[in-house]
Amino acid sequence: MKTPYEVNTTKLISVVDESPTIRTFRLEPKPIEFKAGQFAELSVPGVGEAPFTPSSSQYDNEKMEFTIMKVGRLTSALFNLKPGDTVGVRGPYGKPYPVEKFKGKEVFIVGGGVGFAPLRALFLTLIHKIDDYKKIYIRYGARTPDDIIYKQFIPEWSKLDKVDIKMSVDVGTKDWQGKVGVVTVLLDEIPVSITDSSVIVCGPPIMIKFVTKKLLELGFPGSNIYLSMESNMSCGIGQCNHCRIGELYSCKDGPVFTWDQIKHIKDPFI
Amino acid sequence: METYFLPEERFFPFVLRLTEENDVFGQSKRHIRKFRLEAKEPPVFDGFRTVEPMKHFFMRAKEIVAKFGEPLDKEISPQVIIGARRCDLQALKVYDKVFLEGEVVDPFYKERREKTTIISVDCEEPTETCFCNIMGLEPWSDKDSDINFTPIKKGYIVDIITEKGNLLFGNSKDWLQTADENDLNQRAEKRRKATELLGKINSEYSNIKLEKALETENMKARKGEPMNCVECCACLMICPTCYCYLLYDEPTKEKMRVWDACYYPAYARVGGGANPRPDVMERFKNRFACKFEYSPKNHNLFACTGCGRCISGCMAKIDIKRVLSQLANAASQKEEI
Repeated sequence: MKTPYEVNTTKLISVVDESPTIRTFRLEPKPIEFKAGQFAELSVPGVGEAPFTPSSSQYDNEKMEFTIMKVGRLTSALFNLKPGDTVGVRGPYGKPYPVEKFKGKEVFIVGGGVGFAPLRALFLTLIHKIDDYKKIYIRYGARTPDDIIYKQFIPEWSKLDKVDIKMSVDVGTKDWQGKVGVVTVLLDEIPVSITDSSVIVCGPPIMIKFVTKKLLELGFPGSNIYLSMESNMSCGIGQCNHCRIGELYSCKDGPVFTWDQIKHIKDPFI
Repeated sequence: METYFLPEERFFPFVLRLTEENDVFGQSKRHIRKFRLEAKEPPVFDGFRTVEPMKHFFMRAKEIVAKFGEPLDKEISPQVIIGARRCDLQALKVYDKVFLEGEVVDPFYKERREKTTIISVDCEEPTETCFCNIMGLEPWSDKDSDINFTPIKKGYIVDIITEKGNLLFGNSKDWLQTADENDLNQRAEKRRKATELLGKINSEYSNIKLEKALETENMKARKGEPMNCVECCACLMICPTCYCYLLYDEPTKEKMRVWDACYYPAYARVGGGANPRPDVMERFKNRFACKFEYSPKNHNLFACTGCGRCISGCMAKIDIKRVLSQLANAASQKEEI
């Protein structure tokens, strides 16, 4: 019997330590096709599964990567895996970032912590056809310079024409050159058109809440603010009800919603 | 639809014939029981619904739904449910919306639904927890099952509603007689009486305006009876429309699906421990919003059929009718309950 819960099996090929608590897991062969912003259920055999959004490019046909923070039972089991171990992936679920709507516009990406992971998938998708977009801005905040992920890629990305990256940390160190403060300090200077750019936000709920508040105060239209409202997605198919935000389901209606789609829900950022 | 009369003495042989090719379930002493060929007594229609809802016939309380890295073999046998009430049939509509008409069809639900024939029965004596009338339903149905029975003197009026129902009767159709005017008048009178009784039972709630109760901004419920909730989740497990489920993996690499309930504190908790509804009153509000606001928005149906099982099942004596009525009044007066 074909069931919606069957996984595609693949192998963990390598692991990159991004920060003391965050690792990128590289899986080969690529177990499923997906588009940036869609998520998948990643499972450790005999332990369970949890929802993660891939951080690799949708155009990469060889492998699939997930950047994951160790926070609980399943992620601890993932951190104990060794290269060569088998994992399962089912999906993709949810709606991808509507990149076609970003065409010809400035794209303003705001990320916090491990929330940079899905944004990397988006960024790699955007730079694949970079001429389609006016310019791409990344504003990324982490707790400390050590907690910044994708350190090995950021200098390379910064060199690209039409890409502008700025970072902040909550707590700086002597060597830190960027801004210090929560990610909203990066919104003190807005380099994009307020009325005609696309803003994509992903990070911890509290960060999304304050970034959204600030963006709305600055006058960004709610229809141009794309928020990653990831919650406890379990079935991925809009049935089990765990991920519901009001009458919407993160798993099938999201996980990316515009502010206009969710603004009627009382306090969605919890 | 064809309407007949089945004499009392033919009912039990009819049920026993069904057991030859189907798993047959019916009502006995208020509970659902399996009837086998060697059964000594026929199912009874005890005036109102059974204690258990019908949902486990279509979605098991616990079942294997996948195996890691290998296909799943599963056989689903044909079944007949005798004695479904209007509230049970209405609940199935909610299930159909979720498991058949959503973006992804649940293969287990689909196959069970296809292999199940439902024989419904009129409610003759609604009990004090019943409130299907408030939910806009009548205590009988002549279109949502495959066959409907109405108990009358010396037998039953039988409506054969679907082709599946017709096939189920098969050879037993020889036992059916024409329903005469007297039989039909008896049915009309019984239905009128049941409706009248329901009206009496719920007379103090007849003015509940559900759309008022749905003004969830006012659903803070800091001092009303929901505060007595002990979070046992009996109301949700026994609810015929509640369909939430949890997936987990056994160490044997089998993926299990079990019923879940939104009153459990960990229900919406995410990895790392953040919880959107840590407080029981938040979860209470979520349950009511799910039934009376989100389900109508998503499925054009209330996810409550007025069966009253949650009232019977609640050890804290929380009465959904009373709470709805309090909410509606509070909403009108802009108060917290």
